[in-house]
Amino acid sequence: MLLGSCDRHEAQDQAQSSKVEVRGATEARAVSEAPGSRDNRLNKVKNREKLICGVNGQLPGFSLVDENGKYSGMDVDLCRAVAAALFDNPRQVEFRNLDTQDRFRAVQSGEVDLLSRNTTWTLSRDTSVGMEFAPTTFYDGQGLLVTNASKISDLEGLDGKTVCVLSGTTNEQNLAERMEKLGLNYTPIVFEDSDILYDAYEQGSCVAATSDRSQLIARRVLLDKPNDHQVLEVVLSKEPLGPLTVDDDSQWSDVVKWVVYAMIEAEELGINSRNVANFAQSPDPEIRSFLGLEESLGQDLGLPNDFARRIVKHVGNYGEVYERNLGQPFGLERGLNALWTDGGLMYAPPFR
Amino acid sequence: MGKIIKQRSTWLFLGLISLILINLSGCDSANSKGTALEHQVIESQGQRLEIIKQRGKIICGINEGLLGFSYKEPDGSYSGLSVDLCKAIAAALFDDPNQVEFRHLQSKGRFRAVVSGEVDLLSRNTTWTLSRDTSGGLDFPPTNFYDGQGLLVSKESGIATIEDLSGKSICVPQGTTSQTNLVATMRKNRLGYLPLPFDNTSQLYAAYEAGKCDVVTSDRSELVARRSQLRKPNAHQVLDVLISKEPLGPAIANGEPAWYDVVKWVTYAMIKAEELKINSQNVDSFQDSKNPEIRRFLGLEGDMGAKLGLSNDFARRVVKHVGNYSEVYERNIGEPFHLARGTNALWQDGGLMYSPPFR
Repeated sequence: MLLGSCDRHEAQDQAQSSKVEVRGATEARAVSEAPGSRDNRLNKVKNREKLICGVNGQLPGFSLVDENGKYSGMDVDLCRAVAAALFDNPRQVEFRNLDTQDRFRAVQSGEVDLLSRNTTWTLSRDTSVGMEFAPTTFYDGQGLLVTNASKISDLEGLDGKTVCVLSGTTNEQNLAERMEKLGLNYTPIVFEDSDILYDAYEQGSCVAATSDRSQLIARRVLLDKPNDHQVLEVVLSKEPLGPLTVDDDSQWSDVVKWVVYAMIEAEELGINSRNVANFAQSPDPEIRSFLGLEESLGQDLGLPNDFARRIVKHVGNYGEVYERNLGQPFGLERGLNALWTDGGLMYAPPFR
Repeated sequence: MGKIIKQRSTWLFLGLISLILINLSGCDSANSKGTALEHQVIESQGQRLEIIKQRGKIICGINEGLLGFSYKEPDGSYSGLSVDLCKAIAAALFDDPNQVEFRHLQSKGRFRAVVSGEVDLLSRNTTWTLSRDTSGGLDFPPTNFYDGQGLLVSKESGIATIEDLSGKSICVPQGTTSQTNLVATMRKNRLGYLPLPFDNTSQLYAAYEAGKCDVVTSDRSELVARRSQLRKPNAHQVLDVLISKEPLGPAIANGEPAWYDVVKWVTYAMIKAEELKINSQNVDSFQDSKNPEIRRFLGLEGDMGAKLGLSNDFARRVVKHVGNYSEVYERNIGEPFHLARGTNALWQDGGLMYSPPFR
């Protein structure tokens, strides 16, 4: 049923895009002549003068709404970065809290322009659910939360111990597979509800809790004595988290994609929200085209040529966004989320 | 002509005839000629995967002369990392890596051949850039070789860093981003040098070998392959210095989500197989594996393939017929050119090769 509605949506978009492709056939770059001519998502957002962004709303570090209705987090900052690129104003965003059940339908139906809600990019979601994943903004993975007193530092340390885990999750399955592979015994204590799980952990019912690392670090700070606990370095599964848009609206998915890459590229170029203005006089051609002082990279996307400058000025580069939301509040090292030049996986294709 | 489009300079003309000039303006020049074939295909927008299945083979646009990436052997067969991607897709679709028709494309015209539908896939040492991804009308499946511009020097020159280039003569392919990047790098480092631009790649390396320049700068993949062709390869080295990012990979036309997903996940299947330690030699021994992740990957359970419009054992076919990423890399690049994996290692080994989960 879900697929049926998705297919209809795709069929409409394809009819629109084929016109563009006919022009493209005569000259690959001809599409840039009229990037605003299609009745597509990019134009809808521009005409509406705000972005509608689907978020979690309850996950510290990623998207959390406070008592005053103010949103913060990595996922929230991506929405603000898209708004900054489009409107030179990171506040032109309407956030919609979506639960795990509704999130994909909200993208497919067009209710939200963008889903930015700690969602793992998987084959099933990328294909049959009919959605397009933008680049990964946070490489997550299943981890372990333990008390310092337990002296546990790796999986071997769990031998003969009790571990709290959510029922029916891939976390439960991953842990069982890894422990079996290592020939280690442990006792899983299974919970249906996260709040009850962490209460039980805090009361000592288990020496370790396992979930995605992003969840564990956020939960850790909510414990009575966060400093008595730590999230171990070990990673048991891959969970690449990132934003997504509906399939087959290339122009819109390109915008989201290159907004993410702009934040990464800015960090690589050493450009941040505080020093971006200084680069207006830079003689470096790479920096000049990135900031829109030369060339027409923004125009190629249907955006102003200084879209990257706007993002960095209003929201920051990837490193700033990471530190503000995850590094400083939760003490989480960059790890896989470091730049590729620093041993991580964050890499932007060239801006040219 | 507003700007120079990135012109991949990694050309290796290794035969007797090596006089093809690199056309600098190729990608910018308008070409309004459309063939009947092109128009026919355009009307089928969004149906590329179905067209390929009905045709019974894929049409892959390649470079015929780049050793290690796509190269036509004297016996008429094709080899290389880019060629192996075409074969892997054919294996996934038809359980036969030979159901591929290779079309030789020059730099000039290669993007038009994709956008017009003349080829299903461009697998031809092409850098993924913003302008190609957007106004170029192309989609870029995942990068299968992280390249970058490097420096080739003779060992006796003593050159080891960018600073050492001060006052040196540097051979560079003319009109490419290699030339642009060199200018920018030298400007940034406030170094004087003597540029010697060449239209013809073979002439460039002949000049270098004759001592007319101290340094060659181009993409590292080209430098390592060319180094192996010099008279005394061991007297030369490719430095560890990188002065640009060149993520190379396949490209397809925009507006083909089903086909895009197939190319994407075939690429990831090769990476994932390496991560799971499944290769062409041992893949059959995993038929009785109890590991659910492996069973899902090989199509022994679940419906990962069906979700892509492929057979559920598509990843098994890819690995069986073509190999995992490591096998493909070593066969085409690692062993012939002694180029370490580096950035192209798996994510867990310090590289950038990472596949999203097969679930």
